[in-house]
Amino acid sequence: MEFRETLLSSFRTLRSHKMRSALTMLGIVIGSGALVAVMSMIAGLNQSVSAQFQSIGTDIISVSKYPWIQMGDSEDFRNRKDITLADAEAVGRLPSVGLMAPNIHTRRNIAYGGETVRYTLVTGSTAEYETIDNYLVDSGRFITNLDDDRHRASVVLGADVAEELFHLRDPLGHDIKVGGKRFTVVGVMEAKGDIFGESLDDLVIIPITTFQKAFGRRRSVVIDCSPADGVSMQRTMEEIRQLLRIRRQVPRNDPDDFAINTQSDLVSGYNALTGVLYMAMVGIVGLALLVGGIGVMNVMLVSVAERTREIGVRKAIGARRRDITLQFLVESVILTGLGGGLGILGGSAIAFLVKAATPLPAAVTPTAVILAASFALVTGLTFGVYPATRAGRLNPMEALRYE
Amino acid sequence: MLIELEGLSKIYEVGTQEVRALSDINMTVAENEYLAIMGPSGSGKSTLMNIIGCLDTPTEGSYRLKGQEVGSLDDDELAEIRSTEIGFVFQTFNLLPRMTAFQNVELPLIYGRAARKVRTDRVWETIDAVGLKDRAHHRPSELSGGQRQRVALARALINQPSILLADEPTGNLDSTTGEEIMQIFRQLNQAGNTIILVTHEQYIAEHARRIVRLLDGRISSDTVS
Ligand SMILES: Nc1ncnc2c1ncn2[C@@H]1O[C@H](COP(=O)(O)OP(=O)(O)OP(=O)(O)O)[C@@H](O)[C@H]1O
Ligand SMILES: [Mg+2]
Repeated sequence: MEFRETLLSSFRTLRSHKMRSALTMLGIVIGSGALVAVMSMIAGLNQSVSAQFQSIGTDIISVSKYPWIQMGDSEDFRNRKDITLADAEAVGRLPSVGLMAPNIHTRRNIAYGGETVRYTLVTGSTAEYETIDNYLVDSGRFITNLDDDRHRASVVLGADVAEELFHLRDPLGHDIKVGGKRFTVVGVMEAKGDIFGESLDDLVIIPITTFQKAFGRRRSVVIDCSPADGVSMQRTMEEIRQLLRIRRQVPRNDPDDFAINTQSDLVSGYNALTGVLYMAMVGIVGLALLVGGIGVMNVMLVSVAERTREIGVRKAIGARRRDITLQFLVESVILTGLGGGLGILGGSAIAFLVKAATPLPAAVTPTAVILAASFALVTGLTFGVYPATRAGRLNPMEALRYE
Repeated sequence: MLIELEGLSKIYEVGTQEVRALSDINMTVAENEYLAIMGPSGSGKSTLMNIIGCLDTPTEGSYRLKGQEVGSLDDDELAEIRSTEIGFVFQTFNLLPRMTAFQNVELPLIYGRAARKVRTDRVWETIDAVGLKDRAHHRPSELSGGQRQRVALARALINQPSILLADEPTGNLDSTTGEEIMQIFRQLNQAGNTIILVTHEQYIAEHARRIVRLLDGRISSDTVS
């Protein structure tokens, strides 16, 4: 039979059983919807995370008390000794280390005139921080070694802070209050944008020595550094490890009581996370499609039984096995195809909602849509084959006698 | 010879029991014959029609259609014969309820793989021939019994079959409507069609020129008037 006729006839049948068709599609709708939604979210996650990764740089080693990705007991981490500025300076003197910028952080209110920005990140560091952590100065200058040596009360403003305190005026040379202490603005940084909905520009940077004087020394230092020219990451990290183990008197067979973080740790941690998401999705989608497929098979078997007489009539007027088989197969594929289409729409709607309501830039990818559509169609084919073949094989005379 | 039946039997197995629906049928039908099959209920009339119409195959004996042995054909070859050589009319019309009269009549052409242009013209021609032009786009449920049987007749004729088989075509119709259908059969036979029909009614059978009577699956008489 001509394909167009098969198609039309299939639509006619499905339309005459709207409720049943809709229920059957449900599993397929859920399966393909979940696939599109999860893949869209992972795509969004990829996008924002890769931006964050790029902001870190592949050759940065960051030594801190806490690992970037924590697995296990956080009590353990909290009981660790703080990393000191002296530790950082010792690391900086290692021949395998190129640039080094110690940094410490707190959150304070920043005020100028009548304006206050609350609970803003205050970072204490050195001139090298500009290069290592990739900050660009928009006007004025970054903090310098001289600032640091003389414990000057200099401050560089993040773009957001500058905007909120000074609006359109020029902040350079003005005195502001950082945690109640007076600081002079020496520079404003370029805007970096945001990640996961959090602005990277809502901070101020001051000299690390000034920081310690103003806000105390009892804070663990983060050591950001890069390998010296021609030295591998591995070797640099190993030397830092050995040095810190000695300085911190870690017993021979104990694990490190500090963490050496690199971008690749983030990447692998991230991959583990998306791996789990993918597995969960494969589970949901597989199950939903299986349930949907069994539903489709069931409905098609019922449909074949109900239409036994019709099959007999069609055969009596010249339909061959494959005409009948194809008709039922097309019906089953249309059923799952429509289900897949609805699922794709639903999944995309979820993705758009997530994008609008959360910081995650969920994005519907063509791959997800194609995958969902193919899975739906393949499910229809797979689970339609048995009922369709059975319909095709019916003996015409017996089919006609069927009551 | 159009149809040759030789020592033909049909045995149904129901559980462990054997039902002999037809026993040792010998009969020939020439082209352009008009034949009525009669007999009491359960005598095997429908079984014989179904075998002649290639909906079923004999258990024993031979059935040759236009010289070709039908018993040895596979499913698709039988479908091909049904498509090109046989036109069926049933007591209960057996129209597809979700399709219009036009679509029902068109269906055998689609299975016969005729081009759409050819189909449309042929369907109109045939529907016109049974006098249903103004009902072409109605569904079976919107037609009277007589009209439905005309649609069924048009569907049976659309592929210009060698044999028109009708199993109690007037069984569900009142006598006037039945008579109208029989008029069409007569015209078709005069135009050269071969017709075999099953009936319980003597006055319907008398339209035919030859009457074969069955009793318990055997031919009990074969008379030409
Ligand atoms: N598929 C089948 N399975 C088992 N027995 C069958 C089958 N088809 C027909 N029979 C038996 O074969 C015999 C002949 O049946 P058939 O339908 O040919 O009779 P009929 O002459 O057409 O009767 P009626 O006038 O009532 O239509 C009956 O005894 C019937 O029970
Ligand atoms: Mg009968």
